[in-house]
Amino acid sequence: MKRHVLLTVGPLTEPLTGRHWDAPAVTREVAARAARYRRRGLRPGDRVLVHFGNRLEFFAELLAVWRAGAVAVPVDGTLTRVELERLVETVAPRFSVVDDAGGGAIARALPPGPTVVDATEPHAPADVHALLPEDVARPEGDALVLFTSGSSGVPKGVVHTHASLAARWSALRRELGLAAYARALCLLPTHFGHGLICNSLFPWLAGQALFITPPFRPDLLLRLGAIVDEHRITFLSSVPAMWRLALRVARPPRGGTLRRVHCGSAPLPATLWESVRGWAGTPEVFNTYGLTETGSWVAGTSAGPFTPADGLIGPPWGAILHVRRADASPCAAGEVGEVWVESPALMRGYLGQDELTRRAIQNGRFATGDLGLLDERGWLHLRGRERDEINKGGLKISPAEVDAAAEGCRRVTDVCAFAVDDPLYGQNVGLAVTLTERDDAAVREVHGWIRERLAEGKLPARWWVVDAIPRSERGKVSREAVREACAGRPPLDLTRILQGR
Amino acid sequence: MRQRHREHVLEFLRTIQKPDRPLETVAETDSLVESGLIDSLALLEIVTFLEEHYRIDFAGIGLEPEQLTSVSGILDLIARESR
Repeated sequence: MKRHVLLTVGPLTEPLTGRHWDAPAVTREVAARAARYRRRGLRPGDRVLVHFGNRLEFFAELLAVWRAGAVAVPVDGTLTRVELERLVETVAPRFSVVDDAGGGAIARALPPGPTVVDATEPHAPADVHALLPEDVARPEGDALVLFTSGSSGVPKGVVHTHASLAARWSALRRELGLAAYARALCLLPTHFGHGLICNSLFPWLAGQALFITPPFRPDLLLRLGAIVDEHRITFLSSVPAMWRLALRVARPPRGGTLRRVHCGSAPLPATLWESVRGWAGTPEVFNTYGLTETGSWVAGTSAGPFTPADGLIGPPWGAILHVRRADASPCAAGEVGEVWVESPALMRGYLGQDELTRRAIQNGRFATGDLGLLDERGWLHLRGRERDEINKGGLKISPAEVDAAAEGCRRVTDVCAFAVDDPLYGQNVGLAVTLTERDDAAVREVHGWIRERLAEGKLPARWWVVDAIPRSERGKVSREAVREACAGRPPLDLTRILQGR
Repeated sequence: MRQRHREHVLEFLRTIQKPDRPLETVAETDSLVESGLIDSLALLEIVTFLEEHYRIDFAGIGLEPEQLTSVSGILDLIARESR
């Protein structure tokens, strides 16, 4: 079987705890966990939910699952019971892996089905040698499912095969080299494509050192410059919201080790971009573009000198970018249209949603839903979005999912979630709702209802109780029209209402 | 003076806290983030508040994480650094 790229693990370190596994220790950990899975009957093609991330054990579990030819499904550890039930129904996992932090609560919330495994329990060492995913898994076999916010409350699982992941890493090695990624710091959640596939696995499975932290910890951001110096970090990736805080509170690194910084998952304003360059002490701050469906980074500002500009991305990395008009004809250079991506690193599809997959991938090209243009050099510039998702500091939230969470509440007669501007996150979740009774008790009941159904990061931050949600003659709601209608009015004082003052 | 600053800081925290977490249940030394009162990126709003109201120059001081993560840490910072 043809190999796409040679994979070999590097050392792992947790800067905040000081825990460290060198490459042989990683090998032993993976082997022992793979042996445990074998004893417990994990078979090729089985799916394994991984409910924690951003620590050494996560990476060992991931490779152990792959070693068995099974499929890893890393998920947010803060999902509600309702979300977990829906997830288990969609994924049909054989195992659920938890850690010693939130594992007890997750195990209690999980519906019957998967066998729960504690990744932090001691295990017997195993005499097994090779651990490379390619050694045990078929390239065309499923490797990873990552969930993005789906419409109508249906979880949207992006399925990558070993071949699509290897194609992404191979392209990144070719376009970016490895020297700048020798000591990579990951501050992003490992259940996100950006954090896992590119920030972590791209350098680490090329034998580079990976430094992994809990995501978005404030004490971490305050110490960011010191961590870069102490661990001689050469590379880190991030999202714009993180930089808005770090630039204010973290002293710049002094050691001169930082060679490259990537920023992605949300628009990077040119002024912020320049400030990151100043803080990092390197001009190699690249604005990256990609979606989980494309294996994350698919383009970025890597080629030669450039001047940061709003919307500037750069040349493709291992992909062909197309910009199309509404009639599917190609746009001319400089003409704005919808961005499509053609790449061997595209996902295989959405888990169990063939029709959705057919709409998203046509003739081997993925419809991103983003608007942009290609200039004369073939560099991508983004100009907005056609899809109506809310981008909260890099976390993509489908407003339809928020609607679906609220709609079942007996107090709610109509609802519309939409994006509101947020100085910190760029965007946040706004909610307009019509109620059976317009009083504080109804608002408290609706809030409690939604809270049981949506992970905390997706909860609406600003609420408006309205007389009616405006709809078209066909009954279609315009989220933009609702947003504009609410913009002129103050939102509810939720703190007062929820605390009964 | 510290009591006045405390009331001012608490009044501000009420404007950025998560709506369903009573501020009164968080002890002065508790971590504001780990107690669930605010999310981690809301620290930026605390920084802005301290810069604007107490003229604390964050770029010029060596900030320790503990100084911003609890009410008592913030009050100590104000006492030491405000101008």
